Amino acid sequence: MKRRIFLSMCLLAILTVLLSSMLTFVVMYRQIFDIMQREIEKEASYIAASLETTEDPRLFLHSVSTKAHRITLIADDGTVLFDSIEKAENMENHKGRPEVSAALKSGIGKSVRLSRTLGKQTFYCAVLLKNGMVLRVANVMDSVYSAILSFVPYILCIIAVTFALALLIANRETKKIVEPINALNLQNPMSNDVYDELSPLLIRIAQQNKQIENQMHTLKEKHEEFNAITENMSEGLILLNEKADILSVNKSAIRIFGGHDSSNYLHRNILTLSRNLTLRAAVKKALEGDHCEEILEMGDRHYQLTTNPVWVNGRVKGAVVLILDITEKRAAEQIRREFSANVSHELKTPLTSILGYAEIIKNGMVKIEDIPGFAERIYNEANHLIALIDDIIRLSRLDEDNIDIPRKRVNLLELSKRVCARLEPQAREKNVIVSVSGQNGFVFGVEEILEQMIYNLCDNAIKYNKENGRVDVNISQSAKEVVLTVSDTGIGIPKEHQNRVFERFYRVDKSRSNRTSGTGLGLSIVKHVAMHHNARIELESQPGHGTTIRIIFPGPHR
Amino acid sequence: MRRKFDEQLELLNQELIEMGALCETAIANAAKALINHDNSLAQEVIRIDAEIDQKEKDIESLCFKLLLHQHPVARDLRQISSALKMITDMERIGDQAADISEIILLGNLHSVDNAVHIDEMARATIKMVTDSIDAYVRRDLDLARAVIDYDDVVDDLFNQVKKEIIDIIGKDKQNGEYAVDLLLVAKYFERIGDHATNIAEWVEYSITGIHKGGERI
Repeated sequence: MKRRIFLSMCLLAILTVLLSSMLTFVVMYRQIFDIMQREIEKEASYIAASLETTEDPRLFLHSVSTKAHRITLIADDGTVLFDSIEKAENMENHKGRPEVSAALKSGIGKSVRLSRTLGKQTFYCAVLLKNGMVLRVANVMDSVYSAILSFVPYILCIIAVTFALALLIANRETKKIVEPINALNLQNPMSNDVYDELSPLLIRIAQQNKQIENQMHTLKEKHEEFNAITENMSEGLILLNEKADILSVNKSAIRIFGGHDSSNYLHRNILTLSRNLTLRAAVKKALEGDHCEEILEMGDRHYQLTTNPVWVNGRVKGAVVLILDITEKRAAEQIRREFSANVSHELKTPLTSILGYAEIIKNGMVKIEDIPGFAERIYNEANHLIALIDDIIRLSRLDEDNIDIPRKRVNLLELSKRVCARLEPQAREKNVIVSVSGQNGFVFGVEEILEQMIYNLCDNAIKYNKENGRVDVNISQSAKEVVLTVSDTGIGIPKEHQNRVFERFYRVDKSRSNRTSGTGLGLSIVKHVAMHHNARIELESQPGHGTTIRIIFPGPHR
Repeated sequence: MRRKFDEQLELLNQELIEMGALCETAIANAAKALINHDNSLAQEVIRIDAEIDQKEKDIESLCFKLLLHQHPVARDLRQISSALKMITDMERIGDQAADISEIILLGNLHSVDNAVHIDEMARATIKMVTDSIDAYVRRDLDLARAVIDYDDVVDDLFNQVKKEIIDIIGKDKQNGEYAVDLLLVAKYFERIGDHATNIAEWVEYSITGIHKGGERI
């Protein structure tokens, strides 16, 4: 803009100077021509006056003729008598020349024409003398041009000075015009006080500023929202562009891949975050447009890796990587798988025995007197099967936490006494003394399953006891908690098994031959009942000396 | 023109990181196979080694192509020339991981003695390889120098393991084959440590232009 204004100003200046000097030349030409004409007329009249008084006109003319003017004397018949430049006898008759014939007629004649003698544009002035001859004075027009030419250097000087001045002013003016435009405050367009012509533009800019500000604000909010969501996700989330450069990565993803700081990774290749080959392959697949799911092993943890391509206008423009920690889920799955395998095995064992005995009897291979013995065994195995199935049902109910029985205040001491009374026959059989002591301990819970829990604990304590051993059940209550302690003088649990006895079907004694009629689910049920009542379990045991299990209920209970 | 060159340099960078990742996986799997007596994992290492060899060829041809077509100077030349050197060391790491796996597959190392610190040595070596690649990825001069210093740890561990193996032979000459195989594995780990040091030195060079504390090239 500045350049443009400057250029047009310069052009204007050049045009003005050129045009004015041309006009000056025209005016000067006319002026000088007039002056010359008058001079020659005057000269002609002077020479004519002098000629009147001279004896020998030729001699006189010879003496006055200069190089500046051409003087010619012509007789009344047109014969040239004298010429200051050409020899008179060589010249033709001049009667026909317009200025001569005009002078012969009216005393004076003027004309501008091409001189045949000189071959140049010439101005002539002819005067009729009293003796009838004609005096002609001529001057070539060239002298007009040379007079004008003598002015040219001055005029050029003037042009140069004017032009320089014009440049200077143009420059200054351009700056003056452009300066307020350059100094426009675009942040706050309405505060400007410049040309009125700019105000529609400024209003528009102000509107758009406002619009952009609003959009930025919305965008920022969205971004923050997105960040808040992704940063608080426990799942790892990575967004990649088509070159596998990271556009966004949340804290969880960085933590999973063992990275350092979030700002380090933006706009850098995913390889800088993790060089895991599985991840690399999954990302590659996603960028080729396929959905991919993989299990990723990082240290001792397992992650499910899901990558998805991002399609924009039919082309893959990036990929989304989602990483889920499935370590616990996999462990739980493993337990479930083991449980089903165990259940099938445990159910099959008694059934196989039953089937075997029944088959022998059916084939008539058993003597009549032995049948009651076999029937007894079938009966026992069936009982075991039912006990097992009961336990499984109980456990699955506890598992799903859907116990419909309402909770109520349960006195653990009374409950323990009742359970121990039920177990009296088993205890007597093994010569084990069972004693219940302590205070009344109240727990807000489900009586039926609590009874089951105490039953299982005491049953185990008796079952795994030595001959003449003891089982002590103690209830104590404090402001904070109610503690049920079952201690025995039994065979104890070796250290390496102590953590695992609460698992389903876990048995310290792996050989199933020595089956002490247990289902392997007893302590598992105890654990679940305790969990159901928000109680915690403590186990202390010394192999050969006995086991103490404490169930600690939180209190006080309503 | 320059943009295409930059893209190719970025490709070189990524390929190099991928090759590094393959090396890391190879050595980590070899160590795991050694400690867990996992033959299938050992076989996996041999497969990865083949992949590493292929990668070396790819990167080599890419480097030569860049050198011939682009006539790189200064930093770009340093990056390409150090890449050429690094892939040689990476390829050797892959080979040695495969060598360890082959020894495992011989079956003499069925039970690695707890008295021998070979697992610690494996961990130290893995750390060196991982850190040297990390140093390259992050252009981390300090980390590269730390890797160079860490080589002493691996060397010391090698000497310790060597003594422990001598003790094993001293106790029972029947263990000879086992002991020799274990010594070979230990030596391979030590060599891998040296290659990781070399990589770290080339990382240092690509950043500073100075190789092994010498003149600026």
